[in-house]
Amino acid sequence: MISTPMIAQAKIYASVEQAQKLLLPNKQLHQTPILIDKELQEKMRVASSIRHPFQGNRIWKANDGSWFVVDEVVGKHEMITYAVGLNPAGSITGIEILEYVESYGYEVAEAQWRNQFVGKNIDDPIKLNQDIQNIGGATLSCKHIADGVKRVAVLHELVLKHMKSK
Amino acid sequence: MRRCKPLLGTFVEITIQQEDAETSMNYAFSEIEKVQSLMSFHHPQSDLSKINRQAHLRPININIWTAQILNIAKDIHVHSGGLFNCGVGHRLITAGLLPNHLNINEHQFGGIEDLYFIDQETVSSIRPLCLDLGGIAKGFAVDMAVNTLIAGGVNSGAVNAGGDLRVFGNIPQIIYLRSPQAPSQLFEIGTLSNGAIATSGLYFSIRDKQKSHIVHPFKKTELDIDEHFLESYSILAKECVYADALTKVLALSRQQNHPCFAHYSAQAIRISR
Repeated sequence: MISTPMIAQAKIYASVEQAQKLLLPNKQLHQTPILIDKELQEKMRVASSIRHPFQGNRIWKANDGSWFVVDEVVGKHEMITYAVGLNPAGSITGIEILEYVESYGYEVAEAQWRNQFVGKNIDDPIKLNQDIQNIGGATLSCKHIADGVKRVAVLHELVLKHMKSK
Repeated sequence: MRRCKPLLGTFVEITIQQEDAETSMNYAFSEIEKVQSLMSFHHPQSDLSKINRQAHLRPININIWTAQILNIAKDIHVHSGGLFNCGVGHRLITAGLLPNHLNINEHQFGGIEDLYFIDQETVSSIRPLCLDLGGIAKGFAVDMAVNTLIAGGVNSGAVNAGGDLRVFGNIPQIIYLRSPQAPSQLFEIGTLSNGAIATSGLYFSIRDKQKSHIVHPFKKTELDIDEHFLESYSILAKECVYADALTKVLALSRQQNHPCFAHYSAQAIRISR
């Protein structure tokens, strides 16, 4: 009954465009890159305890003042890219997982795992052994995502909400 | 369509065959959020927090879903001979796995057996309670999401809340389990249609040097309270709420033929490597 083992697990759930439609439906979004200087980076780190630097080039703004931010958490055992939608007041309206990769540090160097994603999009799903679904048994906790969302909230509080509408 | 959201402290993944059922999919996720807000230990306004704060002082009005899950929890408590008991929140606080907002040292806590229904949506308790529904709410949420998808006309798919998984519709789906000794490795165990499977294992807790989240309700001393095992315990059942809860009975009893499983038409799987 038991077959040979395969390695868990890498999945793409949604592209940035798909997540934009899911989290901020019917809204016109404009990419709005933000320079994250050292001081801001440090404030976001303190608020979230995430050390991995935040990249300011994956931020979009809607005409009504809503925001769409893509970020990732890179843990010892996982790499998860996620998107957050914020309303004009800065409240989180939704979170969508874009990519979920369980990596096992010493087994596969992180760079190698990352390279598999270069040039990939939603139309060509990642095949490691295969695109594995239906895994029974504990998944990693989503605590890191909660921390990540905290730093996005801090970014809104410190920067995004002070930006004037076009 | 396949989507994933961080909910219930884990990643909830919904996969459906149809590509055009976005509304049903959104509704299914919102049902899971509803379970999360009703049964969160962390949120002070959840039904669960109200029960923990005050059920021993006055009757508490609760949502029908909370009533349903508490009824199931009480039923499994009886049929498992007390092995399944949600009244272990204070032990999880002591282990650092839950936040302490109840001043646990001031109370002698009872168990789920002390909770009683005054009417369908009102409960009270004989003794102070520190219930944690972490061992059953994920399975319940999966069932609620599946019900919504079916009601929305979705023919087949799967809902997976961190390994508590239910497949609906007639298309059999391959199920994988993790090797408890090397959780990055998956084993195909067969296919499932119209059924649920849930698994309890400590492999991630051990790896991440966390205390065990499986607590034995009969043991009272600090030293032997949390369970340590290297195996993983899975339960197949028709509904995910039973699969989820019964994994704790299997992990604590280590009896694949515990009479409780036959009572709920469930099957036990134990994986040791």
